[in-house]
Amino acid sequence: MAYSRRSFIRNTAFASASLLVPDFLKAAANIYSPNRFNGKSLIVIQLSGGNDGLNCVVPYQNDLYYNARPNLGLKNEEIIPITDQTALNSNLKGLADLFNDGSLSIINSVGYPNPNRSHFRSMDIWQSASDEDKVVNTGWVGRYLDSTCSGECAKPHTAIELDNTLSLALKGDEMKGLAFRDPALLHLSSQNRMIRGTVSDYKEHHEHPTVEFLHKTLFDTTMSADYIYEHSKIYHSNKTYPQHEFGKQMKTIAELICSGSEIQIYYVSLSGFDTHVLQKGTHSRVLKVYADAMKALCDDLKANNRFNDTVIMTFSEFGRRVAQNASRGTDHGTANNVYIAGGKLAKAGMYNEMADLQNLDDGDLKYKIDFRQVYATLLKNWLNAPQEAILKQKFNTLDFI
Amino acid sequence: MASQQQKIQHLFLRAAFGETPDVVKAHLNTPLSAIVEELFESSKGYKDMFYLPYPLNEKEERKGVGAVQIVKMILQSKKDSEELNLEWIFKMAYTPAQVREKMTFFWHNHFSTSVPFSYLMQMQNNMIRRNALGKFGDLLHAVAKDPAMIIYLNNQQNKKDHPNENFAREVMELFTLGEGHYTEHDIKEAARAFTGWSVNTKGQFEFHENDHDSGEKVFMNKKGNFNGDEIIDIILENKQTAVYLVTKIYREFVNDNVNSQRVKELADSFYQTGYDIGALMKQIFTSAWFYEDENIGCKIASPVELIVRYKKLLDLEFEKNKTVLDLQYVLGQVLFFPPNVAGWKGGSHWIDSSTILIRLSIPQYILTNAAMELQSKPAYEEAPLDGYHKKEIGKIKSDWSKLTNSFKNHSADELETVLLESFIQCDAGRIDRELVMRNTDNSTDDKKIISMVANIMSLPEFQLI
Repeated sequence: MAYSRRSFIRNTAFASASLLVPDFLKAAANIYSPNRFNGKSLIVIQLSGGNDGLNCVVPYQNDLYYNARPNLGLKNEEIIPITDQTALNSNLKGLADLFNDGSLSIINSVGYPNPNRSHFRSMDIWQSASDEDKVVNTGWVGRYLDSTCSGECAKPHTAIELDNTLSLALKGDEMKGLAFRDPALLHLSSQNRMIRGTVSDYKEHHEHPTVEFLHKTLFDTTMSADYIYEHSKIYHSNKTYPQHEFGKQMKTIAELICSGSEIQIYYVSLSGFDTHVLQKGTHSRVLKVYADAMKALCDDLKANNRFNDTVIMTFSEFGRRVAQNASRGTDHGTANNVYIAGGKLAKAGMYNEMADLQNLDDGDLKYKIDFRQVYATLLKNWLNAPQEAILKQKFNTLDFI
Repeated sequence: MASQQQKIQHLFLRAAFGETPDVVKAHLNTPLSAIVEELFESSKGYKDMFYLPYPLNEKEERKGVGAVQIVKMILQSKKDSEELNLEWIFKMAYTPAQVREKMTFFWHNHFSTSVPFSYLMQMQNNMIRRNALGKFGDLLHAVAKDPAMIIYLNNQQNKKDHPNENFAREVMELFTLGEGHYTEHDIKEAARAFTGWSVNTKGQFEFHENDHDSGEKVFMNKKGNFNGDEIIDIILENKQTAVYLVTKIYREFVNDNVNSQRVKELADSFYQTGYDIGALMKQIFTSAWFYEDENIGCKIASPVELIVRYKKLLDLEFEKNKTVLDLQYVLGQVLFFPPNVAGWKGGSHWIDSSTILIRLSIPQYILTNAAMELQSKPAYEEAPLDGYHKKEIGKIKSDWSKLTNSFKNHSADELETVLLESFIQCDAGRIDRELVMRNTDNSTDDKKIISMVANIMSLPEFQLI
């Protein structure tokens, strides 16, 4: 086939911008221009399955802890003391280093009223930032996108998830984040010739709003796919990351941040925390995966002078019961700790006192800080976003950043 | 203007799961109302799904089940859910009782339930199918006594001394009246009436008299020693229940944008017929407005509708049982695993940057019989080690011969128009014809048809039914 002028224009429509480009495409072409990105990145790490916080941040001087966990309680050689009352699981060595550097804040007893013990439901509550008894079909990051990035500066890659499917957390009413596992794979799938053909052939507003919606979503997606792919090639990390999927994901995040891409929020999850049976071995392995990759990421960001502009929040949908069960594991619990890492924390170290093992609620930890206070703080102090509008309630912010 | 053929396709896509071009062709001279009759006639009969046997043996049943057995049952149930899922996809594609199956799918979402016991989900599915086109009241009474529902909404914990309001709340908020049409007090009183409605180890409904609160209740301004069944009857007396249900059905079967005048008319007759679901659906499908352009090709097919449509057209075969589940997962709708008690939201919620790319890539994957390089999120208990990330969606085999035979006798000139009319329901006027012909394999007539159809299926417009 001859290389016609028409196909030439088509193939270069993205690079050369506005020839034949309809209005909404023009608006979306702002994708390459500076926008609301405030230079600060937020990384959210979700530990799926219900991480046993008590065996992460260990009250190693407290007999109640060892009484409740005759087999699971961590022994002296299994912990790294960080204060006179608190130790970290030795598999969290990476976190202990961050703690000693003043780059980690540990918030204890985070949860919500009437805790739900279903993984799915509790994860929905955390992701949607809803009350326990309400079903909300949008996520807190998605509503952040709705509130600060609707209309002109709309672009899916403002918030990305390193996964093949998009979590509720990143779905807003108007805007949604972008999910992909690997920039190259995303690039590849958006290169499908029919997809490229459709995007470049779409010439004007379609009268039918649903057709328009499909085309616009497709267009935004391919633009963001190009953007991500381009930025993934700018900086190649030479740091050593652990050899597993989570390590790879953290490396991708570091590369995107260090390349100067304007991605505001990164979302990634790590599973394997549902430790009902013979917990110790499994839990040690996943914690090491988590902490080693965290450490590598933070070191990488530091070396590139980006650590001061990054905050990393780690949470899980619930903690586990205080007492071990009959299978040397732990069952679904309630309140848990949240970890905040970053180069420029306002309050590093132990943010508040350790979980109270004396006053339990039927064998479970009582929450003292609503998880939405953590979100509110990140939204207001880090992302300069209207926390009340996004969370649909006003929460008192904390002062870790 | 939609053609007669597109109107017939519209009926098949909405009242059923779509039909092959041959079936559509065979009905070209049949009046729409006669096709509706035919559809309902063949939906009179039905078959239960009976894949999964009762999971406990006699000894276990006698002794009761302990924690270990429950863990075992849950693990078994996970495997079973793949079989059950595939079985239902087959049923949707091939059962002659198409309208009944479509309604079963609708009620599956309406009465959103998910428990880790596939046997109970199968029982619920059969119960819904039996009642799918009957009286809504019968269906609702059966749902309230359905073991999976009771477990899902914690009614086992709903006892005289400690009422649990979960079921009472959802039955009004999501199943019948909708928010704003009851008070918190109504919920408390209804919860009392459902105390003692529980499930035994055989997975059957069981009434526990000792846990039941038989005292006087004041519910919706009525006073009496109501039990759960009487509460349901009071809810059914309220016409708002008809309005709420018809609105939801209109959104699902007609248009996301509700026409309130039509909903009012439909709700009036729905209420008068004593909530006859079959009569309501027939009324919708025989209305002239159902076939107006604004209602044709305006809905985004749900992931399951899309998969079943493909299955029907191309007789898909999945490499592994799990393949069909993984495909549903990455598209955002897994049968028997709705996201929460409110069910799948549908409409534009099906579409995000990932799902649009996957949807538009499906024809290429099917055509090349390649494995999709996508993984679903690992389950909560799955460790992130051991290379879970190497998983991919298995291969999907397809048979294009039905389609190539259907379109054999068309000239090259008219082929494009004919194919667009057969597969695109919305206005195809703005689709670039060159795109349909792009990179087609013209080596044989069959291959040309196949590559053109695959191109059309890769258009965003194909997502609309």
